[in-house]
Amino acid sequence: MPVIDLPGGAPAIAGAPPRSPSRRERRSRHRSPLAPYAFLAPGFLLFLALIIYPTVRAFQMSLYDWKIVANASSRFLGLDNYVRAFHDPHFWTSLSNSGVYMLFTVPPQIVLGLVVASLLNAKAPARPLFRVLFYLPVVTSWVVVSLLFTYLFSDDGLVNYALSDVLHLTGHVSWLSDRWTAMVAICALGVWKGIGWSMMIFLAALQGVPKDLVEAATADGAGRWGRFRAVTLPAIWPAALVVTVMLVIGGFNVFTSVLLMTDGGPGGQTDVLLTYMYRLAFSNLDFGYGSAIAVLLTAGVFVLSVVQLRVFREPGGALTK
Amino acid sequence: MRFTRSRTGLALAAGLIMLASACSSAGSTDSNSSANGQSSPSATGGAGASGTGAPGSGTSDSGAGPSLGSPTPVTLTFWGTYGNGGNTAQTDVLNKQLIPAFEKSHPGITVKYVDIPYDDMSQKLTTGAAGGELPDVIRSDIGWVAKFAQLGVFAQLDGALPDWDTLSKAVYPGTLAADEWNGHYYGLPLDTNTRVLITSQKALDKAGMNAPPKTFDDLKAMAGKLKGSGTALFADSGLQGWNILPWIWSGGGDITNADHTKASGILDSDTNVATIQMLVDWYSQGLIPNLITGNSGATSTSDGMPGGKYATIFDGPWMRDIWSAQYPDFTPIYAPIPAGPGGSISVVGGESIVMTSATQHKDAAMQFISWTQSEQFQLAMAKVGQMTVVQALGDKEVAEDSFYQTFADQLKTAKARLSIPQSSQVDTILSDELTPAFKGDKSVKDALAAAAAKIDPLLTDGT
Amino acid sequence: MTAATALGGSTRRIHPLIALRLVALVVGAVIMVTPLAYMISTSFKSQAYVLTFPPQFIPHPATVANYQQAWTSQDFARYFANSLGVAIASTAISLLLSSMMAYAFARFEFRGREVMFRILLLGLMVPAMMLIIPQFVLAKYLHLIDSLPGLVVFYVAGSLSWNTFLLRGFFSSIPAELDQAMEMDGAGSWSRYWRLILPLSRPALATATIFTFLACWDEFPWALTVINTPTKRTLPMAIQLFHGQNATQWGLVFAASAIAVVPVIVVFLLLQRHFVQGLSVGAVKG
Repeated sequence: MPVIDLPGGAPAIAGAPPRSPSRRERRSRHRSPLAPYAFLAPGFLLFLALIIYPTVRAFQMSLYDWKIVANASSRFLGLDNYVRAFHDPHFWTSLSNSGVYMLFTVPPQIVLGLVVASLLNAKAPARPLFRVLFYLPVVTSWVVVSLLFTYLFSDDGLVNYALSDVLHLTGHVSWLSDRWTAMVAICALGVWKGIGWSMMIFLAALQGVPKDLVEAATADGAGRWGRFRAVTLPAIWPAALVVTVMLVIGGFNVFTSVLLMTDGGPGGQTDVLLTYMYRLAFSNLDFGYGSAIAVLLTAGVFVLSVVQLRVFREPGGALTK
Repeated sequence: MRFTRSRTGLALAAGLIMLASACSSAGSTDSNSSANGQSSPSATGGAGASGTGAPGSGTSDSGAGPSLGSPTPVTLTFWGTYGNGGNTAQTDVLNKQLIPAFEKSHPGITVKYVDIPYDDMSQKLTTGAAGGELPDVIRSDIGWVAKFAQLGVFAQLDGALPDWDTLSKAVYPGTLAADEWNGHYYGLPLDTNTRVLITSQKALDKAGMNAPPKTFDDLKAMAGKLKGSGTALFADSGLQGWNILPWIWSGGGDITNADHTKASGILDSDTNVATIQMLVDWYSQGLIPNLITGNSGATSTSDGMPGGKYATIFDGPWMRDIWSAQYPDFTPIYAPIPAGPGGSISVVGGESIVMTSATQHKDAAMQFISWTQSEQFQLAMAKVGQMTVVQALGDKEVAEDSFYQTFADQLKTAKARLSIPQSSQVDTILSDELTPAFKGDKSVKDALAAAAAKIDPLLTDGT
Repeated sequence: MTAATALGGSTRRIHPLIALRLVALVVGAVIMVTPLAYMISTSFKSQAYVLTFPPQFIPHPATVANYQQAWTSQDFARYFANSLGVAIASTAISLLLSSMMAYAFARFEFRGREVMFRILLLGLMVPAMMLIIPQFVLAKYLHLIDSLPGLVVFYVAGSLSWNTFLLRGFFSSIPAELDQAMEMDGAGSWSRYWRLILPLSRPALATATIFTFLACWDEFPWALTVINTPTKRTLPMAIQLFHGQNATQWGLVFAASAIAVVPVIVVFLLLQRHFVQGLSVGAVKG
């Protein structure tokens, strides 16, 4: 019989002959039906009050030509703001920029984060040091790193210096003067800053890979990739899902780096949804329309996330169901 | 709640009217009023008298005459952006010298100054307005006054401030224009600045000139000499109003008609087309770097000028402190904006002092605002880089520091940008529409016409 | 892995696999660290040498004036303390509340579970900027304006979605047999939560702590909006004040940012050992 060491110290025998029905009966007798709600209540109520309620208000704002000052009356527009968004070419430009950013930063962060986590999980010297080094970009403020990367990608900056004067690969590129080269710089910042983050989550997840299964697979003759696919990947699947969902959300919500590197320029070409929304709301005081764009962004991201969680849920459904 | 017109709004307006009629011109000792001497505070037009009329009679009408201060202790909260990064020169003068002086001469009023990061002040004002959390007085960028006036956040000052007439006449007209919206004024200029031409001896030598270019023709000659030399003729960091208006105005054109109701026909006038075309031609010849079309990776004007990359730039008086720290060996030459067919006309920048509508201490706030126009305040601030708005003090300012001569002269003719609530949208439109013209994707005439078409609806909206 | 690697340093030849890993890690680390190294080096430069072309890595002449000025100007030490207090309180409360919620989602079947979880997820996706004004009006109504405890309340609320989501994932991967074993011994749900799930989730809790602390420490837009009294400022606001109206002393900003980054790294160092501790669950066989 398997013996499990419980944290309390007392060994227990798990796996008495499975008598599922009666075990369930016992569970429903001893378990208070209110227990889950008791655990949920404090956090969920706080969340409802301070996050969901303002979200509903913000949605309400999007239905009006909303005036920010309390006493002014706002004109009800219904869905006009949303129709306006669909006809607004700048909205579509911003949306595509957000999407491009997401597509070019999320996969690299996942893959590279996992690679680094694996490297740090196996034997290598000075692992704690490397962990800190990879984590450093994550903890530095967006304001500082945006400035740094603007400087790095400037016409006479380090990147041009390295690419053209040292490696002789290209001439000097005016990175921030054009939409797509500027997006390269912005995405580079996004990936650089995020690798340490996903690395952290994968590191924690890799701790949960059952070592005995790894050894069993090795004994069965599985190569590195085979072991990874058969044992590691299923074990870290929930974490990978968390990472992916979060990175997609974060990708669409990119804001500070774009604001500080290009301010959406030149000519609004690198605007992402949030910089456009920010300008609408705080420069043009068009809060109704800004809220509508934010609602569209939220809805899109929500749908994407739900789809991801459904499609990629762990076989057997232990996690997400 | 939020969607009904509140009665407090009406009460506020009524109160303001009563206050205005009670206090207006009562502060002047020479009350050349008609027979309205001792009448009640109900509105009688401009010369309505206060309850006492006689100065120093010791009644509680503290808006009248020279009785300064407040009978009951009052604390004013003053939001400003005087903190200049790590440079505490301005906040020191304010906190250590000026505010104590004000508190001494206005017993009963204490002033609490709160420094807000410059880049975030507009956002904080917006959220503050939405949430009803605002201070009593604010040092606001002139570009925001119309926007917040329309929202009812800034209080109307003409007709409210006792010495409005004298104070408003004392400042440079261009600075006052920035505080006007819909026929009234919602702030008083506090400090000002403008752009002038800056060049260096090295650049002049390279172009074979013995003096800074004085006219557009001089610039064209200079352009011819600098072509292909690696030095750009002129550099600027964008195509917004602040950047492009000195050119447009000096070129003899404008962006709207006189009462700011139409842009089409004016913005895309032939005069403007010629002026902008001149710049576009220089751009295509490499004489203006792509910094102007939004390349934030290009060398900035503050680095390119001392480094010899740029022959001329337009910039303001703050450059002196910046260059003395970073490039101590660099000697810039300051000169007026080159004159075109319209003369040498620059654009006014600066800040205004405003009072919020929501303040509970209107009287103390107005005393503070009036006091900021005093010689004591203006000259003390001028010493630390905030040019005075008072015309009469301009000579004293220059006498103390001859550096300001060029700027003070330029201010005499400098004009304000569009003082409308949507001014930031106008800037975005100008920038977005002119960029393709510079890059050669669109003709200048089409670009200006497109911009004018987008600006037209903004001019008639929201008044 | 061969016997040679298992013996580690007892062989004089380094296993090529380890060497390869080392090289990869070094290359990666250099890329990660270079921009920051530049930031640190710039923080030791006087204003004249900031952001020069070509880039200058070794400050020459070097000065500590930026650090001195950053620390002594305004009330930097107090802002540091404010941020520290807010971040610690927010992290602790958030972890408690979100682990409770994650436990409920992971271990119970109850009516409305999926709906409530989806609502929680929604909170993750709403851009914070959009909520600032409604939240500000709400904060005013609740008298949470211009107060550091008020800041804690909002920071906790803002971090619940993410922490619950993360922790639920980890809690789910703990085998249910352990719960059932405890239950058969008569342990109630709180007991199972406190004595089984939490201790077994140390890596996840450590991760959540690190991230929540970081988020609270660095948060700026909301702090800017609600804090009006200078003595209650948090550190990001103080650093933002180093940006001048017309020019910014970048050496000063970098020095202040370098000081600000220290507590976050300390938190990371303190907690990172939890990433490598094995779970006793790994001992389950059969």
